[in-house]
Amino acid sequence: MHCPMEGRESADILLAYCAQKLDARSTAILEEHIQICPACRQFADDQKAVWKALDTWEADPVSADFNRRLYARIEKEVSVWDLILRPFRPLVARQGLPIAAAAAVVIMAGVLLDRPSAIEPGPLPDTSATVEVAPDQAEPTLQEMETMRDLNRLMRPENADSKI
Amino acid sequence: MPERVNKDMSGAVAALDYDAELMLRVKDGDGASFGVLLDKHRLPVVHFLQRMVQNHAVAEELAQEVFLRVYRSRSTYEPTAKFTTWLFRIATHLALNSLRDGKNERAQERLDDDTSEMPVRQVSDRKPSVEQALVYQARLDEVRRAVAGLPDKQRAAVLMHKYEEMEYSQIAKVLSCSESAVKSLLFRAYETLRARLAHMA
Repeated sequence: MHCPMEGRESADILLAYCAQKLDARSTAILEEHIQICPACRQFADDQKAVWKALDTWEADPVSADFNRRLYARIEKEVSVWDLILRPFRPLVARQGLPIAAAAAVVIMAGVLLDRPSAIEPGPLPDTSATVEVAPDQAEPTLQEMETMRDLNRLMRPENADSKI
Repeated sequence: MPERVNKDMSGAVAALDYDAELMLRVKDGDGASFGVLLDKHRLPVVHFLQRMVQNHAVAEELAQEVFLRVYRSRSTYEPTAKFTTWLFRIATHLALNSLRDGKNERAQERLDDDTSEMPVRQVSDRKPSVEQALVYQARLDEVRRAVAGLPDKQRAAVLMHKYEEMEYSQIAKVLSCSESAVKSLLFRAYETLRARLAHMA
């Protein structure tokens, strides 16, 4: 066989051999070659030493409260959305999608207008165009609200009866 | 079995798809499936990040961000790759950003550092002698320094190849590069590690 050390592309076969990932036939052929090739023998010995050294590196155990902290962060994100959308729940219940869509537009407008700008805004363009939100654009918002409500129920069963 | 999982698949492939199936359930609003995924992948992700950034507190913070992003992405999730590929792509991206931002400049933790943040390590009943403990610590420090000395992408490739036993193709997808690029990364990384650690045989 060609010596794997002759080219970088074929040296990975030696890595696979050292990691015991080669099939039986390839392993047998390579082991025959290693016996007569000092370069490959040295590579294999050194790589096995590296593997053994890396095996000694045990990772630290995960904190016992890892999950609790993660769920707390998720709940906090869900709660923020709940807080923003809660005032609009009665409107959604009575008036349906058009109001929900309008509410989403109002919230987005509020967020955008509140952002500090790096430069002085120029004069407003003279336009009477209005922005309309199609009902299908409100669907993701309502679906998001539903999923957050389900997660909220998992986090706090006492709120299971809360409704949008 | 749900339609989205092929009944004829081998056990290994079905197991791979099971994570994607769980994530699709999370997409449908099943919070319990997210808990299953978290319990299954929490350790590998945290350990990978620990070895990448070599700081326990930062690693757990990054791991929390990984799973937070997984949860946030649930509504747009599509199983175009293995779930672990996606998961480790997020983890690697965050780790590389953290290393680039220099958050790892905090003192690298040693095994015997006195910090109340670290969980208690389980101690075996057969207590090593003081000399054995010192030798172990010295070897561990040398391994950690050798890995820390690798360029970030080489380090990530080695950690995924060695500890997660990922194939070249999966590492390539995680690192968004070709398989030949992964082979090159690993060749150079192991070459460096052999130079630094082969004497430990």
